[in-house]
Amino acid sequence: MEQHTGKIGIREYIAMVILMIGTKLADDLPSILFQKLENAAWFTPIIAGFISIIPIFFLIKVLSQYPKTNLMEILQIILGKPIGYLFVFMLWIMGLAANTFDTAIYTDIIGTMYFTETPTIFIYIVLMAVSAYGAKKGLEQIGSVAASVITYIKVSLFIALILAFSNGNINYIFPIFGPGKWEVVKESSLKVSLYIDFIYLGVIASYVSSTKAFTKGTWISLIIVIIEIPIAMLAYLCLFDYESVKLLNYPFHETIRYISLGFLTNIETFFFPFWLLASFVRFSIYLYISAVMFGWLFKIKNFEYLIPPFATLLVILGMIPETPTFTVADMKAKALSFATPTFFFLPLILWSIMKIRGGNKNEKKEM
Amino acid sequence: MKKRRCKLLSIILLLLVLLSGCWDQKQVDKRAYVYAVGMDMADEENKFNITYLIVNPEYGSQVSSNTNESPQELITFETNDLMTSKNIANVVIAKEITYDLLRVVIVSEKLAKDKRFIRWMYDATKDREIRRDSYFIVTKENVSTFLKVNKPKLETRLDQYFELILKRGIDNGMIPDMDLHRFFNITEADADLALGIYGTTQGNNEDTGKVEDQLLAGELKIKGETNATQFLGSALFKEGQMIGKLNAEETRITILLNDTLEMSDVLTTYPDPFDKDFRIAARLIKKQKNKVNMKIKNGSGEINVTIPLIIEILSDHSMVNYGRNAEKRKELKKKIEDNLSAKINDFVKKTQEEYKGEPFGWSLLSRRHFKTLSEYEKFDWMKTYPTMKVNVKVDVRFGEFGKQGEVPNLKRVRD
Repeated sequence: MEQHTGKIGIREYIAMVILMIGTKLADDLPSILFQKLENAAWFTPIIAGFISIIPIFFLIKVLSQYPKTNLMEILQIILGKPIGYLFVFMLWIMGLAANTFDTAIYTDIIGTMYFTETPTIFIYIVLMAVSAYGAKKGLEQIGSVAASVITYIKVSLFIALILAFSNGNINYIFPIFGPGKWEVVKESSLKVSLYIDFIYLGVIASYVSSTKAFTKGTWISLIIVIIEIPIAMLAYLCLFDYESVKLLNYPFHETIRYISLGFLTNIETFFFPFWLLASFVRFSIYLYISAVMFGWLFKIKNFEYLIPPFATLLVILGMIPETPTFTVADMKAKALSFATPTFFFLPLILWSIMKIRGGNKNEKKEM
Repeated sequence: MKKRRCKLLSIILLLLVLLSGCWDQKQVDKRAYVYAVGMDMADEENKFNITYLIVNPEYGSQVSSNTNESPQELITFETNDLMTSKNIANVVIAKEITYDLLRVVIVSEKLAKDKRFIRWMYDATKDREIRRDSYFIVTKENVSTFLKVNKPKLETRLDQYFELILKRGIDNGMIPDMDLHRFFNITEADADLALGIYGTTQGNNEDTGKVEDQLLAGELKIKGETNATQFLGSALFKEGQMIGKLNAEETRITILLNDTLEMSDVLTTYPDPFDKDFRIAARLIKKQKNKVNMKIKNGSGEINVTIPLIIEILSDHSMVNYGRNAEKRKELKKKIEDNLSAKINDFVKKTQEEYKGEPFGWSLLSRRHFKTLSEYEKFDWMKTYPTMKVNVKVDVRFGEFGKQGEVPNLKRVRD
């Protein structure tokens, strides 16, 4: 189909990655991190970010050896047909699970913080319908939407954080090591998988205009999210103190409810639409990646027709848990620790097997 | 043709989705806006009396100022919590009750001193509509009486009245800048004491013989025709329970010592060192943060605080002419520093001995001296504070001496 032959540029790519990962600072991820590490939780995104340089480095190494091939095919080439297939299937299941948790949480945020009367199922349906519509338009369209809205989203976030810092007290970050130095390092390395989205980027790597753009874009966006998420978490900490921030389910949304701009109170109505936009883009990308992987797994050529059924499936799955605020957050916290080894070792394994086998033979022949 | 129809139908169906935005639609004239919530002790065990001050948004707005409805409505009843009360209120109030415009949470002193108070207070964090930046006020009498008696003469719209009088009080340093957020924050951190704004309508007509700085709400004698409500001083909370009251002077000292609290327009008087009969009027300006020097070692510590202050002398009843007289200025500076330091140190001692805790936010500064939370929690600031050695010094710099720096020589005028 015509729309998928188009490629996305580095600008679009970076915008997409930042929206995919950066938006995590505004859901329940900070609260999951604060639970264990209290006032030192803001170290986690930094430490985890530095650790994740290793898998991302090897992932890029592998991907650049096979330009114009997507992650699924690479897995199959390197690991052999059955094992590669199994790995892709596993990645797809993990992606689906993460997607279900996240959409359920976002629906819960909208339902508990903003639209209390609207039935949950309806919020869910509208959220998924919009995302599915976006995803069906194709990667190129998602990319250009992401690139055009990211400035506004980040400016609004910047304003919110500035206001939070000006209302907060910097002394709340002390004692600096929270529950203890080793505790911080240990917990942080368990949560490296908060950057697991980078693996899934391999799925769409071949859509990026060039390998160089993909490599450069990935590093730039990693740096941006490593800076962005800790700053946001520091802002919550300075505003609420560690005892109180642990009690909040969605710190970002409590923050924008508390801050006021001079005589303007209730300014959450200003920040909420930007957050919604970011969420739509985020889920569009997820849906798209899920569909690409599923299409590859079961040899479905027109995979974009899978997007609406996927969205429906997510609504049905996401509606199952009772009180998602806690149940889903618990599951997500466990899944985060569970996914870490996969994220860390998969690229390493891929790279070493590739090296043992002597690199990409096709590539060498061409050279 | 068929395809076109399909498209049209799907567009119309899509438009239906937009309608879902109306689910949470609320009409302004169909809601009753609670501006202040009051909490009192109830006769029944484990319940409390709730008072709603409902403001009329129609009243006094410029567009439709010719409404005959009264500007507010007041109801009091017994309830189990802050949420179900919204439904119970509808027995008498025709419109749907909402906390969307809630700005003031008022609690009676009797309830605030009760052990169960904190349990009820946490309802405020549960309800989505209650904002954490609402003012937190404690009244001497029952809140139901307080709100009934409170009748400002010039501000018939009570929302305007509360906003203005609290803002002024905070600027003057007569009351602390406390909202629900800070109250919960301090209570949860369990290291410092929290404050509440203290107010009453019960005037005290006897002359207390105190200087205006040492007064508490209700003690200032005011004649004439005005509202009986007074906001002055603060209520002191320890672990979510009220344990005492601070008068205006103590409240100001607290604000001076606590860098997270602010006051901007503070006028006060000091005894005149050159004539015992008079007091000097002065403006206090604090532009810099306090210098707090903390030494923490094995289970106790030492705190040294220096407060940088700029003071402008506004009156000169003893006619000394400070402007021209460097000697006397020096003497005055020393007297003010000594006077202030003595008062502050006395109050600090009082917090150590009587309240066994401090409302100065020093526990926050102490956190810098610990590496891990467990160390800090083991130190237990609230327990350790009374054993600490605290020394407060005031560092005064003079600003201006009034618009006209000099007064005429009294001897020559009387001549």
